[in-house]
Amino acid sequence: MKLTSKSILYYLVISLPLLIIACLFSYYLIRSELRDGTDEILAREKLSAEKLINSSANLDTLTLLPDSFFTVRITSYHADAQQYADTTMYDKVDNELKNYRVSKSFYNHNKTTYLISILKPTLEEDELAEGLLSSLFLVVFFLLLSFLLVNWILSKWIWKPFYKTLSTLHDYELKKNELLILNPSNTKEFNELNDALIKMTDKIYTDYIRQKEFTENASHEIQTPLAVIRSKIELLIQSENLKEDEMLQIQTIETAANKLSTLNKALLLLVKIENHQFKEANELSLKIHIENVLKQFDWVLTDKNIQLKTEFKNDLLFKINPELLDILLANLLQNAIRHNFKNGTIDVKITNRTLTISNTGDELKIKPTELFERFKKDTTKQESLGIGLAIVKSITDVYNINVTYFYEEKHHVFQLVFPPKD
Amino acid sequence: MRILLVEDEIELQKSIVQYLDYAGNIVEAVSEFRKASDKIHEFDYDCILIDINITNGSGFDLVKELKQAKSKAGIIIISAKNSLDDKITGLDLGADDYLTKPFHLSELNARIKALIRRKNFEGGKAIDINEITIYPDDRRVLVKEQELDLTTTEFRLLLYLITNKNRVVSKNSISQHLLNDDDIDQIDNHNFVYSHLKNLRKKLVEKGSEDYIQTIYGIGYKFKVND
Repeated sequence: MKLTSKSILYYLVISLPLLIIACLFSYYLIRSELRDGTDEILAREKLSAEKLINSSANLDTLTLLPDSFFTVRITSYHADAQQYADTTMYDKVDNELKNYRVSKSFYNHNKTTYLISILKPTLEEDELAEGLLSSLFLVVFFLLLSFLLVNWILSKWIWKPFYKTLSTLHDYELKKNELLILNPSNTKEFNELNDALIKMTDKIYTDYIRQKEFTENASHEIQTPLAVIRSKIELLIQSENLKEDEMLQIQTIETAANKLSTLNKALLLLVKIENHQFKEANELSLKIHIENVLKQFDWVLTDKNIQLKTEFKNDLLFKINPELLDILLANLLQNAIRHNFKNGTIDVKITNRTLTISNTGDELKIKPTELFERFKKDTTKQESLGIGLAIVKSITDVYNINVTYFYEEKHHVFQLVFPPKD
Repeated sequence: MRILLVEDEIELQKSIVQYLDYAGNIVEAVSEFRKASDKIHEFDYDCILIDINITNGSGFDLVKELKQAKSKAGIIIISAKNSLDDKITGLDLGADDYLTKPFHLSELNARIKALIRRKNFEGGKAIDINEITIYPDDRRVLVKEQELDLTTTEFRLLLYLITNKNRVVSKNSISQHLLNDDDIDQIDNHNFVYSHLKNLRKKLVEKGSEDYIQTIYGIGYKFKVND
């Protein structure tokens, strides 16, 4: 739930009972005021009734205000005080029960005691309750409306720096090698938040840079001892008196050293890609580059007897570093060859801004989502280092190319959607 | 051939010297900038191998010095940095080749030989090994005066083996040389080397050449000629 909606809800939860209490209170207050008014009128009517009794002989002809029901009876009972009471009576015209206020008083005249009772409908009070209820709804409605308005203003103006910070954070990526920049606002809390965030991300950023520098330096430092190892191996194999099993062991060492150095180069490459060290970019033809890269693999295609089919509906031009484009394509195509059958097929297709590379092959033993992670590999393929697709991913990330993998009808399919030309 | 090696990693220096120091090569090695600078002004070398990161200086500055002194020596930069920028800088300064560490000694040897051939305009010259004659620039091979029809890969394979003759050349070194790759994830290349080598051997023997190529069990091949 949004913060503003949440605050509206809380306002309503608290203000609704308060409003109801206020309404009830004002209802009873106004009703008692009205009742006092009615009673006053009744008292005045009683006085005029008494006057009438004094002046008139015939009680039957007594009439008072048109809307009061007025009766005078001779009674033996007598009390001094005037009495007020509430009662209901059936109204023939409207065919319903109606509320009335009754005043009863006794009056002595010519030694006769008269009971004067006057009825007055209390319609006002009922209408008052109704009126109050509807005004309550009206108030709630306008309150809600004003809450919404206030909140809209709040989020538009007061919360604006907060949402700005939020969206900046959303877009922030360490990999872009930029420090987090947040605009200061005139709200103290938001400034504090921004300061804390900047401090935190700066720390993370410097740690990240240091770590990358470490990777880069470590990789460089590893190259030299590796070069020593490999050169010594090469000298060692020149020896005439090595036994066969010794040769085999040397070969194992050589293979491992080679693997280590290619791995090391790959890690360096990854760091360089992520550091955006490949700055130069030209608009390149994918078609030409694919054809060039494929030439390198001619021999292995022949060797494995793999059928290669290319279908270029159009050429795809894209602004990219030439070295990286070749690495990207070589890695994908190499993959298509490696994870293929003997006598298998590879299809390379360009349609609009989509490049699709699909090849026959067994289903993966690892999850497709893990495919682009470093060192995730099918353990049955020994020669694979498990870093080729991580490189693919990091290149595509840099250039906003959307790469997806799926397995369909016994084919591995890699689909690259290039962003539109700007 | 007189070669100067400027490399401050002593063990690597020793390996390179040991590998190159045969068949009339004189190899000198220094590990420090000033000494290297003195040497290049003192002697004429056919080829100078320069590491970029050396004690007390940069290999690039040595290249500059050599060019200022109008040295005719071939220059190969050997660097741990596999960066295109460094490669371009080096070549722009006047270096003839750039090799990234770690490299195979056989590859370094092949690069030196190729460079010297280019420098001395020996491209047109033939390399003679008994009944085999190779014209590197024309990519032609004659066996007992008869034209041998080789594919590009087979030709490069033969040249590489002959350049490193009487040396064991590992399969890894051959495949990296032929595929020209600083490649990331290697496809198992040994099959590739094996099949090309088999064809080359067959073609040579068919034309009446002696079978010079020995298989060194497990590790690689050797082009064996008795000088």
